[in-house]
Amino acid sequence: MIPAIEVENLGKDFPRVRGGFDWLRLPWAGADKPVLRGVSFGVAPGEIFGLVGPNGAGKTTLLKILSTLLEPSAGRAALSGCDVVRQSAAARRQLGYCPGFDRAFYLRLSARENLRFYGALNNLPRRPLAERISSLLAALGLDGARDEPVRNFSTGMLQRLAVARALLHQPRVLILDEPTRSLDPTAAAWLRRHLREELAGRQGSTVLVATHNLTEAEEICHRLGVLDQGRLQAAGTAKEVCRQAGAASLAEAYARLTTPEKASEEARPR
Amino acid sequence: MTPAVVSLARKLGAFLRRDFLIAASYRFAVGLQLVEILFVATIAFFLARFLRQQGLEQVTPFAHDYFSFVILGLAFFDYLGTALGVFAHTLREGQLTGTLETLLVTQTRLETIVLGSSLYAFLATSLRVGVYLVTGVLLFGLPLAGADWGATLVLLALSIAAFSSLGILSACFILLFKKGNPFAWLLVSASGLLGGVFYPVSALPPWLQSVAQWLPITPCLEGVRRALLAGESLRELWPQAAMLLAFAGVGLPVTLLLFRWSVARAKRTGTLAQY
Repeated sequence: MIPAIEVENLGKDFPRVRGGFDWLRLPWAGADKPVLRGVSFGVAPGEIFGLVGPNGAGKTTLLKILSTLLEPSAGRAALSGCDVVRQSAAARRQLGYCPGFDRAFYLRLSARENLRFYGALNNLPRRPLAERISSLLAALGLDGARDEPVRNFSTGMLQRLAVARALLHQPRVLILDEPTRSLDPTAAAWLRRHLREELAGRQGSTVLVATHNLTEAEEICHRLGVLDQGRLQAAGTAKEVCRQAGAASLAEAYARLTTPEKASEEARPR
Repeated sequence: MTPAVVSLARKLGAFLRRDFLIAASYRFAVGLQLVEILFVATIAFFLARFLRQQGLEQVTPFAHDYFSFVILGLAFFDYLGTALGVFAHTLREGQLTGTLETLLVTQTRLETIVLGSSLYAFLATSLRVGVYLVTGVLLFGLPLAGADWGATLVLLALSIAAFSSLGILSACFILLFKKGNPFAWLLVSASGLLGGVFYPVSALPPWLQSVAQWLPITPCLEGVRRALLAGESLRELWPQAAMLLAFAGVGLPVTLLLFRWSVARAKRTGTLAQY
């Protein structure tokens, strides 16, 4: 069986960000900065895989490579067997992506108009699209605001709309970057249940979710990967990760496997 | 129609609808544009009247008077401004709002995204040009009775294609350097200065006249004026059409390749969404 997500020895270097007179002072001090190093893991169809790690660990970079928004410097990655660099169009057909930035909408359009636009770009026929939009907006509690301009939405409503956009074309692989970050407890609980029971359970979709919420990761993910300083420090079920770290709980394992964020680690392209 | 054509048409329609709805939500700006056109046409009219009183109107080739000459120059110069601005503007707005990445993960080709994002702007420019012409005819006596509209439309399509190649070059600049777009500034300035917008190219020194021939605005304005004001057919205007075709035929493939390369580079360096 072809894994839904394959990541093999993936590496990503970014050019060092230099400003002002650095170009004159240090013209050759331009070694690339490694952000991901030798990351390998696979996710089976219907599985929910969680990525946890401190800020700057490389989670978003990894998700962007899988979403075809970034090219890796080394290694390879594939979605349902489609290489994300060489077969990027085919890879995108498998993909639903929910970015971490929750204002990535046309704010003067309504929720329905935004989803209609993205649905057309994802080749959804008109009538099924209209039905899909109605059911998703209802499920995400946005039905009452479907014709309101998105600029009037709260952060939580925008986040729910971003989830709806990612689910619109019923993708086989769903990539979510901190999807519950701005959600209230009820909406977050609904999303977690929806991911586990509906998407992974009934529809057999594969979900890769990056989160800082360890309780959430433990609750919804079949397996987890702990990413730190660009390396996958441990991967497996929550129990396996704890065993690998020699810890009694996931929180303790996380603390042992990761290093506190340094301010300089943040200075990189996103 | 094949499914691919239907899908392309639907996607382009979705871009058009998106941009129309966004533009319509800024009602005041739409009204302001109409007022602006009226002001520009009135300035051109009084300037033309002044030149006529001074006995200078005969300097304008293919035109009965300076008003006809300059109003068409201004109207069709608008297309160049649109082409040079729309691609870079769309890209930068996408970077600022975060929507660029959400477009790039859809099942839509990059070329379709670029084309689709420019459609409404060109349509709005056509509407503005239409208002220029109608205002000119109704209020200031612009003589368009003998115009060859077929030739005008062909020249216009070729001009838009030629101008778009320069606009895509501007977009490459935004992808690579994020801000400050010298191409757009340089080309709009050079075209305004040398392309025969406000005065005939023949008014320039000979060496500048030869520089003007390398700007797509020059054959565009000459062709359009001759088609609209002198009623010349496409057969008579083939040198201008061939020049524009050459600009578009070479410019579009080259700049689209450059655009693809710029996107690939931005994906490698992680700067695609940076601004």
